[in-house]
Amino acid sequence: MTTKAPSRKPAVPKQALAAKIFHWINLGSLLAMMGSGLQIYNANPVFGGREGFHFPDFLIVGGWLAGGRHWHFFFMWLFGLNLLWYGIYILVTRRWQNRYVGKNDLEALQKGKNPKRRNYALHRLVYTSMFPILLMALFTGLGMYKPVQFGWIVELFGSWQALRTVHFLTVPLALGLMAVHSLLALQVGQWKLVRSIFA
Amino acid sequence: MSDFIRLGRRQLITAGGMSLLLSACGRGPIQSLAEQKLYELSDPLNRSFEQLLFSPQRLAPEFRRDQIEQEALLINTAEDITPSIDPERYRLKVGGLVNRPASFTLAELKKMPYRSEIVRHVCVEGWAAIVQWGGLPLVELLKGVEPKPEARYVFLRSAEGLRSDSGQLYGFYETWDMPSCVHPQTLLAYEKNFKPLPADNGAPIRLASPVKLGYKQIKWVTDIMLLAALPEQIGYWVDFGYEWYGGL
Repeated sequence: MTTKAPSRKPAVPKQALAAKIFHWINLGSLLAMMGSGLQIYNANPVFGGREGFHFPDFLIVGGWLAGGRHWHFFFMWLFGLNLLWYGIYILVTRRWQNRYVGKNDLEALQKGKNPKRRNYALHRLVYTSMFPILLMALFTGLGMYKPVQFGWIVELFGSWQALRTVHFLTVPLALGLMAVHSLLALQVGQWKLVRSIFA
Repeated sequence: MSDFIRLGRRQLITAGGMSLLLSACGRGPIQSLAEQKLYELSDPLNRSFEQLLFSPQRLAPEFRRDQIEQEALLINTAEDITPSIDPERYRLKVGGLVNRPASFTLAELKKMPYRSEIVRHVCVEGWAAIVQWGGLPLVELLKGVEPKPEARYVFLRSAEGLRSDSGQLYGFYETWDMPSCVHPQTLLAYEKNFKPLPADNGAPIRLASPVKLGYKQIKWVTDIMLLAALPEQIGYWVDFGYEWYGGL
């Protein structure tokens, strides 16, 4: 009679290929749009007009205003269409039902005692909140790109300056969430989890 | 035609202003190439999308008189020299693919239908200003000269210019698609904020429209020519690298 304890290696997290592709394109296009967005911003800063605060060259994508716009409008399609097919994908595969923050996560955050469970719930809250911010960036961007055809978007924000400000604010918000998302992913599933979404 | 387009694009690229501008922008050749490729890949999609959304009859939002932003309209010109045009001697020439080519004095233009609109002027740099424009709807002028059916584009030339190394002044020019030209809010404006148009803003006649970015709205218009196809040079800023359609 031999009793061998089964090796208790934690399971390697697995991600669907579609989720990996989405993640890569999302990250790449988002960074390209941020850099080229700052190039456009610098032409006439949102805060302070022409004499306002300018971002330094090393953060900027695109050699000049027209170049920055070419980057921005190229990656706009990549980013927008990527988000669209991912939306369809989570609907069709019903991932929306269990992959994102839910009532049970919010309860765990309020009353939960298990630190792992709480951490997990917080992580789901953070990455779920990425979607409204990305959609807001697209929505306000569409309003600035086509203020005649989508005049109601400009009206919704009250003024052109308010629309520009909100569009700009999606950048620090998305960057902040990206940082927290990465840190929490490390805490929840260590390097293995982070690697699983990319490779 | 040759009178309108004196330079080939290659000659223009060698013009002093271009090299100066590019070196000031610090664009490396690889970066330039990458930007050109991105533009070539995405512009057809952008343009189709913009043309799909564009409706020649849908009006841009208009505003109340108290919403005009007097100071917000900045002045961007290619040359720092403001053309000074004697309004008495000014003539607007209209030709190309039309049955009745004509030349108009300022007084004649002012006798034609007038439209006033308070609209948002949006600059490619990102700023915008609510401004009143008053003038002759371009569509009314076009009706008068009877465009031929094959006319699909409008070429406009300005008295403004770009100075080459040798000091020669080349005209500032722009081309528009016909649906944007016949949009009811596209004006040949001679009035800004209910006052006569100032020289800095393009007096005596400038193009003004809420459906195109600012760089498409050329000032000091002297010639209008209807064309069947786009010429080699399609616009002052466009030939520098900005997108041609520039719709809003």
